Amino acid sequence: MEVFSDFQCPACKTLFMTTNRQLLESYVSTGKVYLIHRDFPLPMHAHSVVAARYGRAAAQIGKFEQVEQVLFQNQEKWEQTGDVDGTVAGALSAAEMAKVRALVKGGTLDAAIDKDRKLGQMYNVSQTPTTVFHCKGQTYPYGGAMSFDTLKQFLDQLLSQK
Amino acid sequence: MMQSSPLNFRRAVIWIGRLVLGGIFVYAGISKLIFPNTHLWPMFVLRFSISVNLSSFAQQVESYKIISPEASQMVAHILPFVEIALGLLLLIGWRLRIWATAITGIMVGFLAVVTRAYLLHMDINCGCFGTPEKLTGWTVVRDSAFAALALVMTIFVFLEARQPHPWSAPEKASLISDH
Repeated sequence: MEVFSDFQCPACKTLFMTTNRQLLESYVSTGKVYLIHRDFPLPMHAHSVVAARYGRAAAQIGKFEQVEQVLFQNQEKWEQTGDVDGTVAGALSAAEMAKVRALVKGGTLDAAIDKDRKLGQMYNVSQTPTTVFHCKGQTYPYGGAMSFDTLKQFLDQLLSQK
Repeated sequence: MMQSSPLNFRRAVIWIGRLVLGGIFVYAGISKLIFPNTHLWPMFVLRFSISVNLSSFAQQVESYKIISPEASQMVAHILPFVEIALGLLLLIGWRLRIWATAITGIMVGFLAVVTRAYLLHMDINCGCFGTPEKLTGWTVVRDSAFAALALVMTIFVFLEARQPHPWSAPEKASLISDH
């Protein structure tokens, strides 16, 4: 599953908070599903590119999950204030935050974000979240949030196909 | 000689209202079920498509911040079917007074909700037709026009219901004049 997501998108927050956690426990940690986060910052969200950079930087030091969680949990606050840095700092140690800041300032992260964007455009992603399922050669792109119960049924059916 | 033409102004407005509002309601309901995800086959993929579309619609309902998330889920899973049913009933023209009144009530409700969101400067999607559509002043204008059409149509339906149908009414005037 490739999930094209925008940290400032309310629907992406809902997907993360209600569905992805259970997905990680039930399917990802058991090796049934491989989950990939793809950045797709939308132009109408002023701080989503900055948030994506911090997410990327955190991923490079192995702290993506913590930063993803703190960004989505505090979305309403930092989207008003623009204080992505302060929000992320709340989830990392001082040393880790220094590394993240250096990576963000380095300017090398935008290429990876653009690569994800182009991949999304190839799948005709026009909204977030969009989840692209790949299973046995078939591709199913889905725009919008989905409940875990519905997703579970779908994944079970996909996994049971021969 | 007929007393009145079967196609008077009121009847014309009723026809226009039935076609426009009935068509829009059917389209609105269907679009919420199948847009934006239109994977149709096999059956479990279709079910998943509809579920995801309705989940997204529930989010749009919730974004108006009027009812609880649980109530938004319920509304999202019922409203599209209600819209399709009402639209079809309006198009068919059966028990017109009842369904025209229902559609007017719903349109006035939609208008109130959309106007409130606009006045509160809420940056949300309208959720009207299943695809992302930003709520703007034009949404309020559009819904106002539809609500006005629904109201006028309903009033005319009630007025016409009091009149005998021109083609079935006894031609008293002509009978009197012949004698």
